[in-house]
Amino acid sequence: MANSLRSYLTCIRNTLDAAMCLQNFPCQEVERHNKPEVELKTSPELLLNPILICRNEAEKCLIETSINSIRVSIKVKQADELENILAKKFLRFLSMRAEAFQVLRRKPVQGYDLSFLITNYHCEDMQKHKLIDFIVQFMEDIDKEISELKLSVNTRGRLVATEFLKQFI
Amino acid sequence: MPKEEELMACFNRASPALVEILSRLISVERPTDVDHCLYEFGSVKYHVQALALEPHNIYLSVSTPPLSPEFLLSNGLPNYILHDIKNMYSDVVELIIPPKEGFLLTMKVDVTKFPNSKDDRMKAITEISSIQAAILCLQLKDMLWNLDSQDKTIAICKPIKLVYHPKEPFFVVRMTEKITAIFPMRFKDNSDVVIATSFFQELMDVGYSSACAKAPRCTWSPIPPQELRGESFHHLTTNGGFVSFDIFPQHVKGAKVDKTMWILLNFYAYVKHYVKCTRAFIQRKMRQRLESLAEVLQKARIGEGEDHKTLGIASRKGYSCVKKVFRLSKSKIFRKKIQTMRWRIKVKRLYRFRQRWFKIPKFSSFRKYTKLD
Repeated sequence: MANSLRSYLTCIRNTLDAAMCLQNFPCQEVERHNKPEVELKTSPELLLNPILICRNEAEKCLIETSINSIRVSIKVKQADELENILAKKFLRFLSMRAEAFQVLRRKPVQGYDLSFLITNYHCEDMQKHKLIDFIVQFMEDIDKEISELKLSVNTRGRLVATEFLKQFI
Repeated sequence: MPKEEELMACFNRASPALVEILSRLISVERPTDVDHCLYEFGSVKYHVQALALEPHNIYLSVSTPPLSPEFLLSNGLPNYILHDIKNMYSDVVELIIPPKEGFLLTMKVDVTKFPNSKDDRMKAITEISSIQAAILCLQLKDMLWNLDSQDKTIAICKPIKLVYHPKEPFFVVRMTEKITAIFPMRFKDNSDVVIATSFFQELMDVGYSSACAKAPRCTWSPIPPQELRGESFHHLTTNGGFVSFDIFPQHVKGAKVDKTMWILLNFYAYVKHYVKCTRAFIQRKMRQRLESLAEVLQKARIGEGEDHKTLGIASRKGYSCVKKVFRLSKSKIFRKKIQTMRWRIKVKRLYRFRQRWFKIPKFSSFRKYTKLD
């Protein structure tokens, strides 16, 4: 793993570790309701300052924290048009199957490719360090998968092109 | 699951439907009146007719749109093309002149002249079924005739617009030394454009490699090439750029010409097929990846890993015990033991042990009342 990527992921891991101290907190506006404050943003006293971690202009991570929920938004690197299309396809594919990942948001925050919403219930249900591991590994895997897909599409294209031109010979 | 041949049917010269109909008609024992009319790609029309009165003959008529508006076929096919077709199918086919109304060509297929062996017969049927491809290739060959004949005095640099698939015209520019086939590429979806563009770049790169040095040189450019100057704006607006192939005399020599023409005519279909397959490939890869990504989160659940571990061992233990018991119950020794155990078992001092330890104590309930006299 490249050093810059390692430090980027370590920074996200540490930030998540510090930010993920969630507790049950009922809604202050509606009685007997319990909503993720990071989404509603009705009470500013329940929100913490959002943290933006950037590797470069194309790759960044926004961590928004509140008393009972945390929202992690990721922007994945897209070096060229093919990577852009592959990333869009893959992230759309994952968003459409968000039920497989309990913490994945169906619609990403504006300006980002993918968002996670973690509530205090998720923290009660899952181990905190493993949840952080999942997010960091997810980020790592997405990058890896897009690079692999690009490589295999190009390899496939080369093979097909060779076969096509061989027909003339 | 469809076979590879079925998937690639669009690139076959022979019409699969026509092959099916002809092979059925030829193998039928009792002749009946058959009248089939079928369309392919929306504009190619076939008419197959077999009469009970003429059991040995099948009438096949074909209609295909002209490749180029300059190559009008209002009075049927030109004589030299008819002559070539006659030469190609001289064994079993007789051309009927004039053709049926609304068709370019009508042929009388003599069933009795088909070879007896199954493979040869199938080969002949396939050849007859590829009549549309033959007509197209002959038309194209006729347009580009001068290239192979080395007649350099007739060198036309004006591009000829060819329409094989409606809405997807391509251009052929005839020069003194080569023919340039230019394909304006249009796609509906942006992702298709990106996939196809990467393919065109690979096509260019592979063309420069030593393995394909003898293949026609391929070039791709996002802007229209110089040869298309003066063409209407409508033809020059594309989202996938322009792909051109430089065909030299060695690519159209002898038997190669038909193959080269057919490859060029089907280039659009080839690219579209590639794009479709690549999309499916990406989807398949993503589906595979989804499972491994979701697995990590499943492991994060509290007690998930440990429960699985313990459950696994317990279940394995239980399963092995059940297996042992099952095996034991089947064995002969076990059966014999059961038989011997049916006698009453006498254990020394058991009675005393029972008296001491299994004696049920007498409890007196608080609620119990004694009857007063």
